[in-house]
Amino acid sequence: MKRRRVGLVSALIYTPLSAAAAALFLLAAPVAAGGDLMARYGGAGWVFLLSMVVTMPTITPLVKRWLKS
Amino acid sequence: MAVEAKRQVVLPVGGMTCASCVATVEGALQGVAGVSLVQVNLATNRASVAYDPARAGLLDFEKAVKAVGYHMPWEAALLQLTGVGEQGVPAGVVETALKPLEGIIRVTVNPGAGAVRLHYVPGLTPLVEVKRALRGLGYGVEEQLEGEAALDAEREARQADIRRQLINLAIAWPIGILVMLGTFQPYLPFLSFAPWLNSKVLLFALTTPIVVFPGRQFFVHSWNGLRHGITDMNLLYATGIGAAYGIAVVNTFWPRAGFGGEEATFYEAAALLTAFIILGRYLEAVTRGRTSEAIKKLMKLQPKRARIIENGVEREVAADEVVLGDWVLVRPGESIPVDGLVREGYSAVDESMLTGESLPVEKRAGDEVIGGTLNKTGAFKFEATKVGKDTALAQIVRLVEEAQLTKAPIQKLADQVAGHFILGVHLLALVVFLFWFFVGYARWFEPHSVLVFTPYHLMGMGVFGFALLTSVSVLIISCPCAVGLATPSAIMAGSGKGAEHGILFKGADAIEATTKLTTIIFDKTGTLTRGQPAVTDVVALGHSSEAEALRLAAVAERSSEHPLGEAIVRGAQERGLAVAEPDSFNSIPGHGVEASLSGEVILLGNRKLMAERQIDISGLLARAEALESEGKTAMFVARGGRAIGLIAVADTLKENSAAAVAELRRLGLEVVMITGDNRRTAAAIGRQVGIDRVLAEVLPEDKANEVRKLQGQGKTVAMVGDGVNDAPALAQANVGLAIGSGTDVAKETGSVILIKDDLMDVVAAIQIARATMRKVKENLAWAFGYNTLTIPFAAGILYPATAQMVSPELASFLMAISSVSVTLNTLRLRGYVPAIKKRLGRAAPAAA
Repeated sequence: MKRRRVGLVSALIYTPLSAAAAALFLLAAPVAAGGDLMARYGGAGWVFLLSMVVTMPTITPLVKRWLKS
Repeated sequence: MAVEAKRQVVLPVGGMTCASCVATVEGALQGVAGVSLVQVNLATNRASVAYDPARAGLLDFEKAVKAVGYHMPWEAALLQLTGVGEQGVPAGVVETALKPLEGIIRVTVNPGAGAVRLHYVPGLTPLVEVKRALRGLGYGVEEQLEGEAALDAEREARQADIRRQLINLAIAWPIGILVMLGTFQPYLPFLSFAPWLNSKVLLFALTTPIVVFPGRQFFVHSWNGLRHGITDMNLLYATGIGAAYGIAVVNTFWPRAGFGGEEATFYEAAALLTAFIILGRYLEAVTRGRTSEAIKKLMKLQPKRARIIENGVEREVAADEVVLGDWVLVRPGESIPVDGLVREGYSAVDESMLTGESLPVEKRAGDEVIGGTLNKTGAFKFEATKVGKDTALAQIVRLVEEAQLTKAPIQKLADQVAGHFILGVHLLALVVFLFWFFVGYARWFEPHSVLVFTPYHLMGMGVFGFALLTSVSVLIISCPCAVGLATPSAIMAGSGKGAEHGILFKGADAIEATTKLTTIIFDKTGTLTRGQPAVTDVVALGHSSEAEALRLAAVAERSSEHPLGEAIVRGAQERGLAVAEPDSFNSIPGHGVEASLSGEVILLGNRKLMAERQIDISGLLARAEALESEGKTAMFVARGGRAIGLIAVADTLKENSAAAVAELRRLGLEVVMITGDNRRTAAAIGRQVGIDRVLAEVLPEDKANEVRKLQGQGKTVAMVGDGVNDAPALAQANVGLAIGSGTDVAKETGSVILIKDDLMDVVAAIQIARATMRKVKENLAWAFGYNTLTIPFAAGILYPATAQMVSPELASFLMAISSVSVTLNTLRLRGYVPAIKKRLGRAAPAAA
């Protein structure tokens, strides 16, 4: 139960963070990719994926510690 | 404050393949309520868990481990109940009797056949306890040695892992090579007849099974890790393989999507990357099996059966049913089932498997025998003094297992670095992607540029494809996949190697600390010396012979119980002299003894005794003083009122003391001797053994203080002692080496236990520790160094100058090389023999 709560709270933090990074990329991408939709959306997807990979293991232990305390 | 009840248990874990699996399993177990400490070891496939049994149980651990994609291959046993009536065995009764036992996981009863199958944890509930509970129900119990019950679950799990990776290899490599040939077909004249091999759809059809079947494990494990907040080496594989495969699929079916079109399908990169990683996994699984061979061999030494004597009748029983006080019969060629004391008979026993001593040891009534050793020549009966988990073999196995479960400080550091490294690499991959997307592509992209070692031109590559390719290459090339095995495999091999030579390291930290020693302190009595006085010199005066002087001195001391007197009697007997019973004997405290034989008075004693009896010893004084300056005790012998000689007695050096000290100095260590003796005696022994620095007149309770003083001077100190009297000093030292422990392994204070009483094993221990840590450092260099050095190339640092990019397949090849290097490097330790053992030409046979 506790583990599920840690997972849920963590996901509520890292998912929006990663989505925000992808959104920022999407906004900036036309500078380099012009109208290439594949580059814009594909790039945003890759940014979202890598951001998730970076933020998931960073946020989860912090949340675990926070909920424990 | 509530006090938690603590229990420590070692559990098997199956399915782990890399360091990240360790972190995943540790995380899962730590998440179970009531668990306070978890240590998981990849090399042994075991987890050590400290927990509160009131809050957590074995099934909770199994559930947690299963939830993250691993399993617990519990030990299994099949017991056959005898004395079962026609109605069979009531399953409920058996289950009720066994379920309360703490280590029982599952019990299945076949009522008709009278068979009980169980899964259990031997560390919590040994099988003998299960048998006892079943006997308590009135049944006889036989352990079925054939079939599933006799299989070693852990070994089975390991072999299953090897088999699984072999099947994966068999899929990945042949198809991977076919995919590579297909990719390069236009450039290979011998394949000019088969242009269809280069069909992108065919390459897609060939690569997909590789990614879906052998590659599936990486995606599953990385997802399980991510869910628990753990970055994972599998994640690097999954993103690498997934991205290469994804680009290839897009370029096959949507060639205008901006990823370089049909000219840039990376099927061979995805296929070969998978194949290389699987090869690394396979080699790691094999290495884990090989490095734990020593402990498996130790376990195999335990005989299954014993022949006990009951009311004068022989009866064969299971070895674990021998109880204290049983008389056990051992015939030539048989293994000794438990520890004990010989009561009848005589034989020579091969103890090399436990002590490293290559020569058989003679055993007669009163001598100790060790379970697991091999009786060579005669038959004898012995009384069991240690059984079950108390035997020396069981203690040694437990000690080596525990040592292999511990983590050396260097490994803890490596694990931390690896965790951050993987996270850092993903961050770097993101930065590299953004850099090439927003800056690099527009500035340096050259349509005619190529991927190293591939036929691909990047002509059709758009900004996204180029940036993604670079980012993926960084992920693949930087994967420190071998780091998980680098330290534990070397520690396992090293501790196993120590056990082969009768040297038991109590933990990986003891191995590491042994390599950092600067100073080594030897206790004198019982460590450098034999600890019992012996006759060293006999001087005859006038017409008397040395033999006569010694014989008469022994006659005088025959009835004495003084250690010096016993030494003289023993010395005479060893020289074959007949020591007659004196007619009378009188001890003169502080002076010596007086005895008479055949009417003649014999005196043996010091100057005071001779002066009181007015005996002229002037002809012996100079020699006596010389002997005393060597730390020996000189005693004058007189017969019929005339001095006839001089006997010198001293504690003598052990056979190898001086040679071992010389070897240690050659290894660059400062050698110190510590003793309670007076300065003159201590200095004399120090000279004989080659030690300049002698700490004399140190009371036993002050030895630990002396160790502390040396540590205060910045020295890393080892103390070598007998493990009982020197316990505080051994505990204070950075490394305590308890020597000559024999079978009492568990009682020792030291962090390194030397079973044999041979100082050369101190040298061997240091050499094994150094070889092990050298291997650890080499492995870490292979695991990290390679990848770290090549990351800038994968990130495209040379691209602006050379217009060449590292291809994903080259990146995967470089990554795989580090895995293969670590594996091969560790396996080299298997054939290692400490230099000192080689030099002495008595390397122990590799029995243990």
